Amino acid sequence: MKFLKTLALGAVLAASAAFTQAQAETVRFWYHFDNPANPMGDLVKKFEAANPGITIEAENVPWNSYYDNLYTSLVGGNAPDAAMVKLFAQPRLVEMGALEPLAERIDAWQGKADLLDNLLDLNKGPDGTQYYLPIQYVVLYLYYRTDLFEAAGLQPPKTCEEFRDAAIKLTKAPETYGFGLRGGKGGWDQWGAFVMSQGAELKPGGLVNPEAIAANQWLIDLFQKDKVIPPSAPNDGFQEIIAAFKSGKTAMTIHHIGSSKDLVAALGDKVSAVPVPACGKGRWTSYGDESLAIFSNSEVKDAAWKWISFLAEGENNVAFNSATGQMTVTKSGSADWKLHERRFVDATIESLPFAKVLPQTSAVSEFVNTAWQTHMQQALTGQITAAQMMEQLQTLFAE
Amino acid sequence: MSLSNTSPLQRHWVFAWRSERLLPYLLLAPAVVVTLVIVFMPMVQAVWTSFYDLILFKPNASKFVGFGNYVKLFNDPVFWTALWNTLLWIGLTVPLQMGLGLLAALLLNREFPWRGLARALIIIPWALPSVVIALMWRWIYDPNTGVLNDILVYLSIVQTAVPWLADPDVAIYAIIATLTWQGFPFFAVMILAGLQGIPKSQYEAASIDGASAWRQFIHITLPGIAPVLATAGLLRVIWVANSMDVIFVMTGGGPGYATHTLPLYAFIKARQNLDFGYGTSIAVTFTILLGAFVVLYLARTMREVER
Repeated sequence: MKFLKTLALGAVLAASAAFTQAQAETVRFWYHFDNPANPMGDLVKKFEAANPGITIEAENVPWNSYYDNLYTSLVGGNAPDAAMVKLFAQPRLVEMGALEPLAERIDAWQGKADLLDNLLDLNKGPDGTQYYLPIQYVVLYLYYRTDLFEAAGLQPPKTCEEFRDAAIKLTKAPETYGFGLRGGKGGWDQWGAFVMSQGAELKPGGLVNPEAIAANQWLIDLFQKDKVIPPSAPNDGFQEIIAAFKSGKTAMTIHHIGSSKDLVAALGDKVSAVPVPACGKGRWTSYGDESLAIFSNSEVKDAAWKWISFLAEGENNVAFNSATGQMTVTKSGSADWKLHERRFVDATIESLPFAKVLPQTSAVSEFVNTAWQTHMQQALTGQITAAQMMEQLQTLFAE
Repeated sequence: MSLSNTSPLQRHWVFAWRSERLLPYLLLAPAVVVTLVIVFMPMVQAVWTSFYDLILFKPNASKFVGFGNYVKLFNDPVFWTALWNTLLWIGLTVPLQMGLGLLAALLLNREFPWRGLARALIIIPWALPSVVIALMWRWIYDPNTGVLNDILVYLSIVQTAVPWLADPDVAIYAIIATLTWQGFPFFAVMILAGLQGIPKSQYEAASIDGASAWRQFIHITLPGIAPVLATAGLLRVIWVANSMDVIFVMTGGGPGYATHTLPLYAFIKARQNLDFGYGTSIAVTFTILLGAFVVLYLARTMREVER
């Protein structure tokens, strides 16, 4: 009898242990914030208070090697359960079979109606399946120094011709240069505003057509012949173009609303923004996306979904955006938007009609990660011509 | 007496002899096993991987290509650029570090006030993490906001700011200067230790014989620190050859391919483009080249030193 009692007690204990184990789920989450003021801890606390039994392990992974780490951890079997991801990575992740389809979960989610229109469509996978839940967005536009433009009697440029004209007039080398070009890693989206707008496309034959080559030549000439771009451009990344703009070294540069706070802190009213100029027949600017995804190998998908959908809801999303300095994806959040000065929000919204995303192929990932940068640097420094650059990049998109 | 009639004493002797022969191997076994598992197995696997067309995000398209990656490698102009950059990288950095280290060690070996503090401070570049050094120098070299150009322009040495890291003809030398600064304290400390091992009596005898300071340096100091130079030099060649963190942070291999070295090229191919087959074939080729150099170096230098 006593034996049976012990046995029963043991069974109850074991069951309750198993039960608490099933309850206590840990969601590993990767994100990348550059901003030192990081509200992730508060968001995690709020979520954990509302969802007892789920623990969030949020890890801030440095941006420069974010995707290298993500891909290798996926292959190595040590991937997080959910992560912040961009569209250009989606084809590779789909090809690896790493993503969990989210369509059903999104349909059943009350926050769906609050998402801005069209975002879910923009985020669809290359195979038409929904893997990404949008979390923030930005659009690239042109920053310019109002005081320097006024002193030179110039209006912010609306076309490429006006842009070049203004850049030449504003250049007083070596003190000031007209335009801060990002020739190093991540500069493809600036390049796109000048070259993709004039007919260049990332597809077979899309880069070697005469218009695209001429557009690229025009941009390289701004550096080599017109000398309206600082000589450091080939190695300049985000930090450098922003530092040069803040210090007054450059009068224009292209970036998104994420840097507006920092620039206003340094320059006050002397900085404003307009959409990128229209070049040739078209206008093109980069829609900078950021989404959340769940990985198919995760064992806590339900908990992971609770967490990522939590981040995409109204005020949580606004808190998230206050750290990244980007735009909320919710209607309720946009209605009362106080994180940015109005002029930068306006420039963003005016840019939306011609904002585009790159095609979703895995060659695009290589283009964005390494190929564009290497060939652009070679062209800027005169090791290859503008036409050779386009021919070499075209080999990535040869069918 | 036939052999089969061995006495118990003899049998015991044979057993003891056997276990005595075996014992060292038994004692070595754990270390050997660990080395095999964590050093040699990955090496063999790397060689094996280099025979495959393996792109990480296309796991199902992986196929055996034999020496295909190596054929592609030798026809790849970037490989030859990177090889030349690697030779330049090692060939300049190590001698410069050694020269600067020798100079620093000779100075630190003299008597002067606060010598202890100077000896401690000189270690700082060596003790800083590479990434910190790379970021620091990236800003020092920055043409728009960097301090180096400011000073040079102020002193009228250059007319306009030099884009140190954005000019393909200058970038690699700018990084070599950074690495020289980082690595010379290692030589300074090693050589200083060597200098203190040279008996004072030799210098005294030489000066009594009327030898000048220069001849003392050539005939006493240099032979005295030769073994240190040989060993430290070899270690540095291997470390410098393999180090790519500073290059990666400062230029990422650019502009273009101007600062690609072989280890960096292997890293970019394997980890950023996820082309593990090709990336590994670069790494294996570089390992063979470096291994050959090390064997030659050891064979020559150690013979010299022993003489």
